[in-house]
Amino acid sequence: MATLSRLSRLWGLRPRPRLGTPRPASDSATLPGGRSTGLGLLYPGHIPTSPLQKMLLAAGAACMALYDPYRHDMVAVLGETTGHQALQALRDRMRRDPEGAQILQERPRIQLSTLDLNKLRTLPKGSFGWEYAHFLDVNRVSPDTRAPTRFVDDEELAYVIQRYREVHDLLHTLLGMPTNMLGEVVVKWFEAIQTGLPMCVLGAAFGPIRLSAKKLKVLVSDLIPWAVQNGQNSRCVLNLYYEQRWEQPLRALREELGITLPPTVDRGFTQSSKL
Amino acid sequence: MAARRSRALWRLSGWGWRQALLSPRLRRGSARLLSTDKPGVATHFGFETVSEEEKGDKVYQVFESVAKKYDLMNDSMSLGIHRIWKDLLLEKMHPFPGTKLLDVAGGTGDIAFRFINYIKAQNQRQRQREVKSRQNLSWEEISKCYQNVQGPSEESHVVVCDINQEMLKVGKQKAKTLGHKKGLAWVLGDAEELPFDDDKFDVYTIAFGIRNVTHIDRALQEAYRVLKPGGRFLCLEFSQVNNPLISRLYDLYSFQVIPVMGEVIAGDWKSYQYLVESIRRFPPQEEFKEMIEDAGFQKVTYESLTTGIVAIHSGFKL
Repeated sequence: MATLSRLSRLWGLRPRPRLGTPRPASDSATLPGGRSTGLGLLYPGHIPTSPLQKMLLAAGAACMALYDPYRHDMVAVLGETTGHQALQALRDRMRRDPEGAQILQERPRIQLSTLDLNKLRTLPKGSFGWEYAHFLDVNRVSPDTRAPTRFVDDEELAYVIQRYREVHDLLHTLLGMPTNMLGEVVVKWFEAIQTGLPMCVLGAAFGPIRLSAKKLKVLVSDLIPWAVQNGQNSRCVLNLYYEQRWEQPLRALREELGITLPPTVDRGFTQSSKL
Repeated sequence: MAARRSRALWRLSGWGWRQALLSPRLRRGSARLLSTDKPGVATHFGFETVSEEEKGDKVYQVFESVAKKYDLMNDSMSLGIHRIWKDLLLEKMHPFPGTKLLDVAGGTGDIAFRFINYIKAQNQRQRQREVKSRQNLSWEEISKCYQNVQGPSEESHVVVCDINQEMLKVGKQKAKTLGHKKGLAWVLGDAEELPFDDDKFDVYTIAFGIRNVTHIDRALQEAYRVLKPGGRFLCLEFSQVNNPLISRLYDLYSFQVIPVMGEVIAGDWKSYQYLVESIRRFPPQEEFKEMIEDAGFQKVTYESLTTGIVAIHSGFKL
């Protein structure tokens, strides 16, 4: 009995939340159910997990995401449970960059409540904001479909991964990729190079399994090399304060980042279901 | 044993221990208090402390969210063993044609369908026996059979009662798929205040439901009320494991694996966290037996299954 208790401590079966003064919630989102941030909860929605639970979650989420590709929450869970080191590296990169440090300090969120889509649609055509609003409309997605972070045991890293998720749609706009399977895989390749998150690497490696042979050919011959090259050359995409750049023309923004146009014709916005 | 168990939980569920220390020992308290629904009276919701009114709502939300994947999760979590437990409950019940069953918190209908199948099997056996016994009759006896007009034998009937609309929906859908139509009724009702008259049922069952009720004593009193004299109360519920090694493994599995399964399969961590915590809050076998006796039942016995992971309590209204 005593051995078992010692073993359970060895295997790290107790969760290790950073107990200290829990920092206040990073944004104004209120907590459902009235649970307060205290008692080891580091941010709203935080679920402390032991290392064993994280391993089981990662394995289960990976299998479920492959089995049922519509389970986006599983992809998110996989990212949270496997991304600790990559998130730390990302956070350090952000700290070293002035704009990134500003983002870490101010913690902006991209949600419908903070975003004025109508205003973005009135911006001049070709500006980043207009292109983003157009992308959301054409692909019929909303910036609020991102699941909140739950399993990251550090409050700042939880924000970093939340920011990464919210920037994902903006990446689609920047790269000119639609939201179909092929477009998502290309964006995953780009993100894998940029962030190094295991979830992106796995998504990039296993995503193509569900593609047809024709699309696979296009992917491997043109799109992946392009995504990899851009990923390596461009600035870290998390270091851009996008909320201050809506008026910037998309072309100028791409030049600043070092992103070239995709090899095939930019059909991302007119034929969202093809490619 | 109880102290040791709570220490094990203290270590494993590191985040829960603060609540367990801060809130008063409500493990047995609230269940036995003759409390009314005064706002501000605290009870437990898993390891959390909530007011009594809140608990009902929170439990409702839990089951509303798990209803669609309830059966799949049951199979995954218990590795299919819950089917054996429910079969054993039916064996213990041993109903015969004509029995009127009330299955409370019976949402997805597992007990009700097993009851119907059991009765059907019995009817079939009886008919086979009759057919066999009529093989070598004389012509006189055969003509007598045609003369005896037998009235319709008492039909057995089961009423499934649940407080949660979603669970009942799933149950009704299952009944349709399995083709059960006759002798089955679905009623929306609260175990603490059943919408039935006194002395109506032969058997009352509640399988894995009573630990979610806010006032267990009221549910037991209602059970006593609606049963006929001679009626039987049967409760299948998670209980205390009597083997210390298995208890540790069970705690490990409960707290480490089950919420993960809930997240991966059903996309719901918190409901399954509540589930494993609520099991720890439920009184052990002896204590629950005393509660049943307090409600007026006699000849109360219990049988622990699978080293005490579940127990079947039985009592009679005499």
